[in-house]
Amino acid sequence: MGLKPATNPDVEGATIELSIDGKSVTARDGVSLYDVIAMTGKIIPAMCYHYTFDPFGSCGMCLVMQEGKKAPVRSCTAKAAAGMVIRTEGEDLFLARKKAVEKHLSVHPLDCPVCDADGHCELQDMAFQHGVTNLANAKQKFIPEDTRSLVLDFNMNRCIACAECINVCKDVLMIDALQFMKKGGFNQVVAKGDLALDCEFCGDCLAVCPVGAITNKFSKYLYKPWQMKKTTTTCNYCGDGCQLYLETKDEEVVRVTSPLSWKNKWGDRSETAKGHGGLCVRGRFGFEYLDSKSRLTQPLVREGGRLVQKPWLETMHLLVDQLTEIKEKSGADAIGGLVTARCTNEELYLFQKLMRTGFGTNQLDSSARYGHMNFVLASKRATGLGRMPNDWEDLTKAKAIMLFGSNITETNPLTAVRIKEAIRVYKAQVMTFDSAITNIAKLASHPFLIKPGTEGAVIDGLVKTTIEQDLVDEEVVEKHPRAFDALKSAVANLSLEHLAAQTGVPIEAFREVAAIFAESPRSIILCAEGIVRRTNGYQNVLKLMDLAWITGKLGRAGCGVNTVTEEPNEQGAVDMGAAPEFLPGQARFDDPAVRDRFAKAWETSLPPVGSGAHLIEILKRCKSGRIKALYILGENPLATLPASMEVRAALERLELLVVQDPFLTETGKLAHFVLPACTYAEKDGTFTNLEGRVLRVRQAMDPLGESLPDWHIMTALANAMGCRWEYQSANDIQAEIMKLLPGYYNLGQPRKVVPVPDQYLSNDYAAEVKARYQQGPPSGENPRPFSLLMGQLLVHSGKLSTQAPGLMKIAPNTGKLRMNIGDMERLGLQDGVKVRLTSDRGSLQLAVQADQSIAPGTCFFPEHFNEPPVKDLMPVSVDAATGVPSFKQTWVSVEQA
Amino acid sequence: MSVAALTKKILQAALFYEIVDAMKVTFRHMLHRPMTFQYPREQRTIPDTHRGALGLLRYDDGRERCVGCDLCEAACPSHCIKVISAEDPARPLQRYASEFYIDITKCVFCGYCVEACPVNALAMTKMYEYSTHDKRSLLFDKKRLYDIGERHLDDGKKYLYAHNQEKNVAQSREYRYYFPQSVQKSTQPPPKHLS
Repeated sequence: MGLKPATNPDVEGATIELSIDGKSVTARDGVSLYDVIAMTGKIIPAMCYHYTFDPFGSCGMCLVMQEGKKAPVRSCTAKAAAGMVIRTEGEDLFLARKKAVEKHLSVHPLDCPVCDADGHCELQDMAFQHGVTNLANAKQKFIPEDTRSLVLDFNMNRCIACAECINVCKDVLMIDALQFMKKGGFNQVVAKGDLALDCEFCGDCLAVCPVGAITNKFSKYLYKPWQMKKTTTTCNYCGDGCQLYLETKDEEVVRVTSPLSWKNKWGDRSETAKGHGGLCVRGRFGFEYLDSKSRLTQPLVREGGRLVQKPWLETMHLLVDQLTEIKEKSGADAIGGLVTARCTNEELYLFQKLMRTGFGTNQLDSSARYGHMNFVLASKRATGLGRMPNDWEDLTKAKAIMLFGSNITETNPLTAVRIKEAIRVYKAQVMTFDSAITNIAKLASHPFLIKPGTEGAVIDGLVKTTIEQDLVDEEVVEKHPRAFDALKSAVANLSLEHLAAQTGVPIEAFREVAAIFAESPRSIILCAEGIVRRTNGYQNVLKLMDLAWITGKLGRAGCGVNTVTEEPNEQGAVDMGAAPEFLPGQARFDDPAVRDRFAKAWETSLPPVGSGAHLIEILKRCKSGRIKALYILGENPLATLPASMEVRAALERLELLVVQDPFLTETGKLAHFVLPACTYAEKDGTFTNLEGRVLRVRQAMDPLGESLPDWHIMTALANAMGCRWEYQSANDIQAEIMKLLPGYYNLGQPRKVVPVPDQYLSNDYAAEVKARYQQGPPSGENPRPFSLLMGQLLVHSGKLSTQAPGLMKIAPNTGKLRMNIGDMERLGLQDGVKVRLTSDRGSLQLAVQADQSIAPGTCFFPEHFNEPPVKDLMPVSVDAATGVPSFKQTWVSVEQA
Repeated sequence: MSVAALTKKILQAALFYEIVDAMKVTFRHMLHRPMTFQYPREQRTIPDTHRGALGLLRYDDGRERCVGCDLCEAACPSHCIKVISAEDPARPLQRYASEFYIDITKCVFCGYCVEACPVNALAMTKMYEYSTHDKRSLLFDKKRLYDIGERHLDDGKKYLYAHNQEKNVAQSREYRYYFPQSVQKSTQPPPKHLS
């Protein structure tokens, strides 16, 4: 249609004036006439229109009369032009629209009673609105229903060929999995090539389908829309923090719907820069664990080697007795705690308060330690800001985006949609550096396949070429000449040829990318698991900060160094102080003024400085017997960390292991006490997403069985341990946080804080930078030729999603090693052939499968599955500065077994 | 009191006037046909439009008419209907009501549910004798409703006819919704009037 939105910040459309229903309206040139009319507040019915993509013009409902034309025109595909005289109401238009409805209805089966969309159907609404009671020549289609897909059913009898599903898939999500096909005399929507649907299964086509042509397999035929209770809440799979509607009936979660829907079709196109409202496969179809049969409903207590069910009261008495005994006998330092970042902010706050005031220990950590902490600490050190400086809008409107080690379409699908919109609408140049053939690399303008584990060397090369080509922002650098000189001399002894050979990126590419990044008005760096979860993550983030600083991108609006988080509330865990180095609000634990403030607020003394321990240190202390009691809240270190960490030995040595979780995890099976906790659907609270937006989590149903919200259990535990906490609900905790951290609850709008690197640059920078840029060891012939990578799949998130049967059906644990087809041919392997995989840590046998996204010389196994235990082949290296364990990459040899 | 009135009163008392007056009605009625009928032994003729107990109907080929659309539940003013629908395990792609409850103690016999039913699966019958010692048995479940429908099939059809909902058999077939088949496996032949 060529109707691009006039929202590009670089190009302002000319202002035109036209008359609508006798009123003069100003609009931008080139905008759809429909948008202009919608902007004035008038609503013209339209079934194929949605603001997220270009108008398609198939339904014939949005008719308006234009002066000078005999017949009504379709306003959606007409461009607004200066001097147009438009009439939107009148008997003739009503009848013309009614005719269009009748045309659609005459080939639409009148099966509303069995249709899932009944009551949530645009065609139904239009038929009512226009009073369609008689159809002259109705025709039934009787097209077979396509039930081959795993999540969606296509009943093309009901399709009105509005193409909303095709457009949203192609234009907004850039997946392009659907197409029209003429079959049986009717145009039908089919999956590409009329095969079984095989896509990212985000289900946005289902959300925008105005009729019941695309139906959800999970809730098919179960309930009508009006029978279900709809709760707006926040998804708890990844850090994107998507809003979703949890639709429940009594104790059963029926389905999940998104704000993206045919019902919200009127909007400003530029608003999609803040998110288009859709969901991904995890959010939309991964809800079944909420009311799963395998949920824990009763406290379990170990008796004679077995876990037996006990009532809450008895369990708590036994637990508190043991805890008190350990605390009295061995002191507060014999207690430690781990918490998952899938808890709400209130619970994370309460957890660290319980550990620090109730138990009196600073040995606590959250799952942000697995990677996000690298970014937070580096960013805080360099710029004083412990989170992403940019939000989704900045990302969408960026001109250059550099992605380091990020399979973002799989880890954070909705942030990936922002980048896709940047490519599609704002014509951004996207440069990806990854050791896998990722989906985003296929869309990127400058995709680079690098050798595994050389992300740091790529950054070295970029910093060096930036300085060599004089792309440096003089104004910014002149403020800190000493720091810049130190950086210059640090990179001087790096050899570009060497870096190019090491990383596999040609020197010209370094130059080009550095030039694009430096010269763009808005450039964003996004580093993900390839940086923060690998060795030297902290140093690599600091190097990225250097790159942003010398090109003048640090602190400038719309530019910055960003990351993504895997769990929904990793940012919240850091902000709430669930880490030994931080008090709430990311205040340093050893800052005396802050310590005083919190000690006064909590009416107690804080544990001494230096007594804290992070995840790895806690596990070490468990093993050495220093920690005797460990309180694990939702965390599962046994299934996450490789066997070489000897987590099992550490946990078995404990006198008291308390696990609080909705499911009986591997760690839970070792525990002395297992307390049943609620999932996010059964409690109130907030999540802080990766942008720093605080998003509400609302209770959708009553707790399952005897499970209780985490804050409730912690309050009971604290009161039994002698605290006097009077929290009646999550709101009370919120009120306390509001008092301690004013302005934290930002109601979905993160505070714009400008990162300021000056403090760091003028003090410690020069001394540190020398050690940061070291020539890597020459990439000689490795005795083990393959790089084994572990990472996330699109369909899964941590271990939680493996509890959702629907997601397991889409992506079951194949138990196979994914390899490049070329490598398999070279080794003479077929799909399913068993191989022996050997690393320095051990070896195991498993089958192989070909995978298109795996680069030559690498092999991949999803981190969500431990069967076979591939994770145990991984060596663990702990970052010296941040204590982040990295265990996602190693060198292996693959031989046919 | 005057003398005349007193005399009249004494005379009436002597002659047992009140009894005669009362018996007059009795004797008059001895000549009438009885107005009442002997209820358990004799049954009253009930009009076709009578709103009695609800029943679920089947098509002539024995298939359940109900497609579990929940419209009756939505229409019910006293919230006495509960429908739980599901996909028929034996015939994929066919929606049906796996459970269907009507709490007849709450029912106000307004007949809205019958009007709402798009497939004329619900009908009101002339059955009204279901008094019981156990109130719990008045929660009619799906089996009971189909039993009522089967036993009072004619009543139900007459009810629908009298309420202008279903005129004849041919029309009732047109009302019927034919589910599409699966691409993978056909579970039913296409309907005659469509093939």
